Amino acid sequence: MNVDEVKDRAGPREFSPKDDLPEEYRKAATRMLEFHANSEIMGAYLERPFIRKAPSIERKMAFSAKVQDEIGHGQMLYRAAESLGIKTRDEMLDDLANGDGKFLNCFHYPMESYVETPMIAFFVDGAAMRRQATLKKSSWEPYAHAMDKICFEEGMHVKHGESILRELMNGSRKEQRMTQEAFEEWWPRILQFFGPTDDQSTHHDFAAEVGLKTCTNDELRNAFLNTYIPKAKKYGLEMPDEPRIRDNGDGTYEVVEDDLDWDEFFTVSQNEYDGSIEQISGRRQAQEAVQWVRDMMDDQTTTNSGPQTQAAD
Amino acid sequence: MATTESDLGGPTDLSEEEQRAVEAQLLRLADDELIQAERYTFWQVRAPTLESDLSISNNAQDELGHARLWYDAVQQLGYSEESLIYESDPSDFQHSTLVELPFAEGDWADAIVRAYLYDVAEDIRLSALEDSSYEIIRNRTSRIQGEEGYHLEHAESWLDRMALDEEASERVQAAIDELYPYALTLFEPVGDVEADIDRLGIRTMTLDEMRTEWETRVESFLTELGFDVPTDAAPATPTGRDNEHTDHWHDLHEEMTASYRNLGRDKATLIMADDDE
Repeated sequence: MNVDEVKDRAGPREFSPKDDLPEEYRKAATRMLEFHANSEIMGAYLERPFIRKAPSIERKMAFSAKVQDEIGHGQMLYRAAESLGIKTRDEMLDDLANGDGKFLNCFHYPMESYVETPMIAFFVDGAAMRRQATLKKSSWEPYAHAMDKICFEEGMHVKHGESILRELMNGSRKEQRMTQEAFEEWWPRILQFFGPTDDQSTHHDFAAEVGLKTCTNDELRNAFLNTYIPKAKKYGLEMPDEPRIRDNGDGTYEVVEDDLDWDEFFTVSQNEYDGSIEQISGRRQAQEAVQWVRDMMDDQTTTNSGPQTQAAD
Repeated sequence: MATTESDLGGPTDLSEEEQRAVEAQLLRLADDELIQAERYTFWQVRAPTLESDLSISNNAQDELGHARLWYDAVQQLGYSEESLIYESDPSDFQHSTLVELPFAEGDWADAIVRAYLYDVAEDIRLSALEDSSYEIIRNRTSRIQGEEGYHLEHAESWLDRMALDEEASERVQAAIDELYPYALTLFEPVGDVEADIDRLGIRTMTLDEMRTEWETRVESFLTELGFDVPTDAAPATPTGRDNEHTDHWHDLHEEMTASYRNLGRDKATLIMADDDE
């Protein structure tokens, strides 16, 4: 198949590993899936300290389950990416460790306090849900298929985040104040989750043309703001004066782009922000420390000298 | 569920002496499981592969679920999650010092050996509780046993694999030498209450009987794989069971309870539906 044929046929779940797809498509799909999978892993890395710090056993269980789910999502998405034949999972994980792998802007910032956890688990995961729901119609069938399970679990995560937010905003004045401060710090990053507003002039988005993604950044941002501004207000959060968001009154919004720090955003997206370096190297160090286990497993696979019964994982 | 003539009944039927013995048995179950889980979670997003990350997370959540059940059983005797965990003093806890030791980054052999030594002991302890004279212990034990069986398989299959590799074997042996004395503390007594626990039938094996069975099983399995087992080792001190702990526990307790304190909480949040027997 050439690129024009792909564009003609492009539709929900249209292409699978059985199809002979041009390299341009396979590279674009790999890039999306790898970014998505990396984001699951780095999101889990950011949240992991709160398994320990959660203020009750049941919250602790929920954090542990959520972090585990993210790792499971990473596993599914890397598999869907590998099936495009461009990069192996090991190559993608190595790139993530050495700082070449890209991931969501929000996971480049340190998270210090428990009150910050719903900024990720409610708002960022809520934003991610918007995007992911549309990816159930991606033209790469393994991606769309992975989304079925991932969206279900993400729905649970958003409920978990919402429950924490509700509890904090119904808590002491101190908790409410700390949560409002965290919201003001995270809100611009959350808006930037959807990237810069669409360039309506000439930009042709290859991923959209071949059906890998089905919605624009603006459509997704509008859908998110329509749901989440009222929810934030319902729980008693006050919208910051900046970044300015104009409500067009027709279900769409305009975010004043100049109120957002795009230099920081592009520094983040190049993995060059202070937080990026901290998160990436922290994870790399942890992964290098268990390299000996992976070497042992690889060696046993290569020489067929592993246990004869079903292998451990 | 069959009851015997010596059945102790429910939480409100206990004499002072019986309650003291039931509490002592329940508290070490709850504390062991919570802290073992807490240390397992160290490996979340740090395990060698995505698959091993998922498995160890499962273990952590199972143990947290068991801790929740055991703390709930203690709460039926007039305590709260706040008083038992979040507002308690670290020296109120009675878990074995085995489960409170921190992991060194990358020491997957420690994680597996610790899981193995603990899971064999847990298997034996649950057998000794399945016919407990306290109904709540009996019922919850049978709910927990299935999951613990899976944990043991997980640890054993990793040991099988590591025994075949020279470098991994050295790491496993070092972990056995280090952890074995700490594992023995699982069978150390909590004060003078052990005789009552045995006499009242709360547990159907004595600590000595449990330790003997554990030593036999551990020695036989590990020796078969080519490891040396330090069978003449004495239990490590402090034991944890006597409320004395290593400094590692004080640090961990501080970290676990930091958010609760910083937020000024006085309630540990419940989010799951009650699940009575």
